[in-house]
This record gives sequence, C-alpha cells and structure tokens, in this order.
Amino acid sequence: MIPVYICDDEQSVRQKIAKILSEQIMILDQDLGPVCTLEDPQELLLQQKENAVPAVYFLDIDFPGKISGLELAQKLRQYDPRGFIVFITGHGDLAFETFRLRLEALDYIVKGDTASMTVRIQKCLESIQERMQAQRPGQGNYCTIKILDTVRHIPVESILYFEAIGYRHTLQLHLDGELLEFNSSLDHFAEKLGEDFWRCHRSFLVNRSRIRAVHLKEQAVELDNGETCLLSRKAKSEYQAQC
Amino acid sequence: MSLAFRIFTVCYTFLFTALSLFYITTGILGKKVRWGYLAAFCGSAVLLQWLVILGQILFYVEETGQDIIPLPFYDIVCYTLTALVLGWMMYRAFCLPLLHTVTASVLGTFIILTAGSVMSQAVDAYSPLFDRQHFLAFVRLYIPYTLCFAVAWVAAFILRRSEFHRYFSALFRSRARGILTLLVSYILMCTLPVLQLISPDTAPDVGYAMFFFALIVAGLFLIQFAAMYAAGQDKIKAQEETILQQQAHMALLEELQQEIRAFRHDFTNLFSGLTLQAQEGDLEGIQEFMRKTSSYFDEKLGSEIAQMDGLNNIQMYPLRSLLTSKLAKMRQMQIKAVLEVLYPVRTEQGMDMEDLLRAAGILLDNAMEAASRKEGLVRVVLLQEEKELYLAVANNYDTAPDMAALNRKGYTTKGSGHGTGLSSYRRIVSRYRGCAMRTYLKENMLVQELHIPVR
Repeated sequence: MIPVYICDDEQSVRQKIAKILSEQIMILDQDLGPVCTLEDPQELLLQQKENAVPAVYFLDIDFPGKISGLELAQKLRQYDPRGFIVFITGHGDLAFETFRLRLEALDYIVKGDTASMTVRIQKCLESIQERMQAQRPGQGNYCTIKILDTVRHIPVESILYFEAIGYRHTLQLHLDGELLEFNSSLDHFAEKLGEDFWRCHRSFLVNRSRIRAVHLKEQAVELDNGETCLLSRKAKSEYQAQC
Repeated sequence: MSLAFRIFTVCYTFLFTALSLFYITTGILGKKVRWGYLAAFCGSAVLLQWLVILGQILFYVEETGQDIIPLPFYDIVCYTLTALVLGWMMYRAFCLPLLHTVTASVLGTFIILTAGSVMSQAVDAYSPLFDRQHFLAFVRLYIPYTLCFAVAWVAAFILRRSEFHRYFSALFRSRARGILTLLVSYILMCTLPVLQLISPDTAPDVGYAMFFFALIVAGLFLIQFAAMYAAGQDKIKAQEETILQQQAHMALLEELQQEIRAFRHDFTNLFSGLTLQAQEGDLEGIQEFMRKTSSYFDEKLGSEIAQMDGLNNIQMYPLRSLLTSKLAKMRQMQIKAVLEVLYPVRTEQGMDMEDLLRAAGILLDNAMEAASRKEGLVRVVLLQEEKELYLAVANNYDTAPDMAALNRKGYTTKGSGHGTGLSSYRRIVSRYRGCAMRTYLKENMLVQELHIPVR
C-alpha cells in the first residue's frame, strides 16, 4: 500500500480532494491508501518519516506565513525521491515548469468545480499507476547519487556505464536516454556497486548485464544500445583468463 | 672545487630558475601557486636541464669535437622545452586553454632569462676579482639567481595585484590573436640567445645589460598595451551588445503595450454585451460568459507578463540581457518561449560570469536550433536555491536526438563544421568543481540541466 497525503490549509479543499480521491481509488481499484489529510506542512514532514515511502503527495502551492510549496516538496523529495507530487493551486498561471523539472512533480490541480477536479485527479492516478507498473519489473537495486543537495535513486538496470573524464574527477553516467555529469570518483562506485559492474578500463565501469559483446581484437566493449567502451589490456587478460 | 660542490651549484641555479619561472607564470595567469605542481615542475625542470646538457654533450660535442657548447644554442633548446613543460603543467593545474598557458610560460621565460642575464652581468661588472673560487661562485652564481627569484616574486605579486590576467586573457579572444601573442613572446624570448649567437664576441658590459633591461620593459609595455587595447575593444563590443539587448527589451515592452491596447478594446466590447445580459437578468448567460473569459487575459498576455516577471527576477544584469535577446530571437523565429524564474537570482554564483553566460548561451542556441520547425517550444527555468543555482533549458524536436551520439565530440544535426557548441559547453562546465549537468528526454522534450553551486 502506498500512502496518500493531502496537505492544504483550507479545510474545504482538503475534504473535497479527499472525497474525490477515495472515490477514484475505489473505481480504479488501485493499491493506494490510506488517504491522510493534513493542515500543517510540518506535520506532513513528521508523518512522512514514520510511514512507508514512496508515497503520493497532494500539496498546496503556498502556505502563507509558513513554507512555500516548493520548499516543502524539496524537503519531501530528500527523503522520498521516488514519490509522486501533485500541486494544488488556486489559479492557472503557476510556474509549473519549474516544479515539473526541478521536483519531477507529476501534475497540478486547479481548485474549482468538482467535475474538472475529478477529471484531473483521475488523470493523475492513472499516470501514477502507469509509472508504478513501469518500475515494477526492476524492483531490484538502486544506486544512490547525491548531486549538491539532490539525492537520486537510479535503478541499477538502467545504468549502462560510468566514464571518468578529464582531470577533475568528473564522472559521466550513461543511462537509458539520459546523460549525467558530476564530480565523483570511479573507485567509489566500483566499490559500491560490486560484482555487477566491471572495470574494463581505468576510466570505464560497465554494467555487466548490459554488455552485448566484448571485442577482444578492437579492444572494445559493446553495450546493448550500441555504445562502446574501451577495454584495457589488463582487463582483457583478466577476461581471457576467466573464459 | 669539489665535484659535489659544482653539481650542487648547478642544481641550485637550475632550481631557482625553475622557481622563478613558476612564480612569474602564475603571476601572469593571475592564479594562486599550487604547491604540488610547483614541486613537480621544479623537479622536472631540473631534470630537463640536465638532460639537455647531456644530450648536447652527446650529440654536439661528439659530432663537432668542440669542447665548449655554445651557450645560446643551449639556452634556446633548454628554455623552449621548459616553457613547454611549464605551459602544459599550468594547463593541467588551472584548466585554462593550452595556448594561453604556453604563451604565459614563454613570456615568463623571457622575463626570467633576461633578468637573470642582466643580474649576472651586473654582478660581473661590479664585483671585484677574487681568487677564491668558492666565494667567486657564490658571488657570480648564487647571488644573481637568488635575486632573480626575488624579482620574479615581486613581479608576480604586482601582476596579481594589478589583475594583469584580465588583460592577458583578452589577448586570446580570437585564435589568430592568441597565436600572434605567442609568436611575439617567443621572439622576445629568443632575442637574447640569438643575438649572442650572431655576435658571440660582444663584451658583456653594463651598457649591454641596460639595453636588455630596456628591451624587457619595452617588450612588456608592448604586450600590456596590446592587451589593454584588446580589452578596450571587447568592452566596446560588449556595450554595443548591451544596447542591442536593451532595444530588444524595448521591443518586448512595446509589443506588450500594443496587446494591452487591443485587449482593452476587446474588453469594453465584451463588457457592453455583458451589461446587456445583466439587464435582461440572463444569469446562465453571464455564467457562461464568465467561464469563457476567465482565462482570456492569461491566454492573451500571460506569457509575455510571465516572461517580464522572470526577467525582472534576474539581478545578474548580463544574464538578463542575454536572456532578453535570446527570447526576442525566439519570438522572431516563431518559437514559443516560456521563461520561469521564481526567485531572485543572486549576482554571485560559483561560476565566473563570462563562463556562465557562455554556457547558458550555448544551451539556449542549441535549444532554439533543435526546436521543432512547425511549433517550436523552448522552456527555460532558472531557480535560485539555498545551495545552488538550477538552470534547465528544454526544447521539443522533430526527430528524437540520439542520446548515445549526443555525447560524442562534434555531434551535430547540421553537417560538418558544426557541433562545437556542446563540447565547449562541457569543457566550460567541467572547469568548475561541484557543477553537475544532466541531459535527458522527458515527455517529448530534450532537457539540459545545469547545477551550479553557490559560492
């Protein structure tokens, strides 16, 4: 069960959304619940620590005099990087792109008449379901990466390889459809990820399960998306010894 | 004199030359001395100078049978090599362009070489004759080289204080200019040895030394002048750009005004209709009208006003100008642009202004070019957080970019000659510690993110 939180300082809005949500969860027969409504964002932060993650959060965009929705979401994200965040707003012209890119917020709901809110909430729930099903087969390991203040949990099976570049301990992480560059050392990840990864070169760390072929002659390792990594002489002899 | 003393003396002179070289070059580049690199350079320079001597003994003396190696010849080979090594080390230490560091090290070599020879000749001319060899060596070798280091230290201090590196880096704005500077520095460096090569019999005296001293001063003035001139030109160019950008801003304001006027016209019309309905007591009609028009204002003017709000939140003035001009260009190209800057962006960031502008410029240009031809859409998000500045540029596309290929040097969709933008973006960002970048596809948008830590 994935808990659902609603945090808004207006009681009527909270109740309305809670009602729509419980109905929709019933209709879609989802593995969500219990629905928990809260007024104070601080309370939400406390509750989050006690209960399971990931969770679904419906957050007001602003709590006058307290905390902004953005800050709240950032704090929630630190603890629950894989949860689903939906914002509740009074007007249509919010800077949603910032929330969507920075916090990977799912969507936003405009306070208004019940019918349009229902449609929007339904859409949210559907896409939550979709995403959870997409995640399910790989419910294995996650690799944690901290970049400045942001913690990311990356499913290990989506990692192709790490590459060390330049002189300043810059690492390039190649994922499916994503490229990440940050300061860290290859040794750190080689140690953390263990046997599933192969140090095929001084500056390459490859996910073993993503290798398509090892070309001994060309001294290259081909991955299943067609990218290639270098193969050092040392790793080559290691490889040959194992075979 | 014992052999050990001789070797020690030679090593001492080599070491102090290396030290002076390193100090003066860091001074020219305006950086702090990095001890690890200093040690590495001193070691390798001493080794190199020994190797050059050995090499010349092996090849020159063996070939020609002469006992004495011509000093100028040795100087040129030796100093060119050390300058190259130093340039390369600076390149690694400070992540500056190689051309830049090599020129600085050549220039530093010129100063040290000339200063050193002037010192030793001056000491030569004024010191009384000794018959005790140790004392002679002390006066003729130890004192000038130590003094030379002191000169280098003082010069480096002055250069750093006067922020000479700003002018110096202006000399490398264009490649041709940079290469010219390198050549001039190299010629200056070679002047002394070449002159000695041409007329080896010139008796070194004080007048001769003064001539070279004048040469250093003239050479440095020349370079300083050239650098200041280049910097001035750049400033003029930057000002012209600012004017252009302000014009773009004005154009945006005018457009907004036009639209407000049109909106006002629409609005009075709509309201007269509404008044009529109200008089008739048509409540349902009024509700229908409210529903239709509530989003009307946002649709018409929302994006422009949001853009202006966003721009006003950027206190870093050059960045604001850059964004203004890029947004104006996007409007021209009929690309829909969305800018979101929720909180004021601080003026101090963990990246130099110039580099930040270049990085952001590359991302924006790329997004503009890659955006879909028919209904182009570019989204720009700037978010000031407690510990970092977050910049994201997203664009839609006609054909999905190949993520694996995007990483390769010179990847482009536009044929040869293009594709340098992304790799220079990477180079700029990788120069800063703590910066992170991310490229990914999300909901039919290509997103480029850049995280810059707060200083």
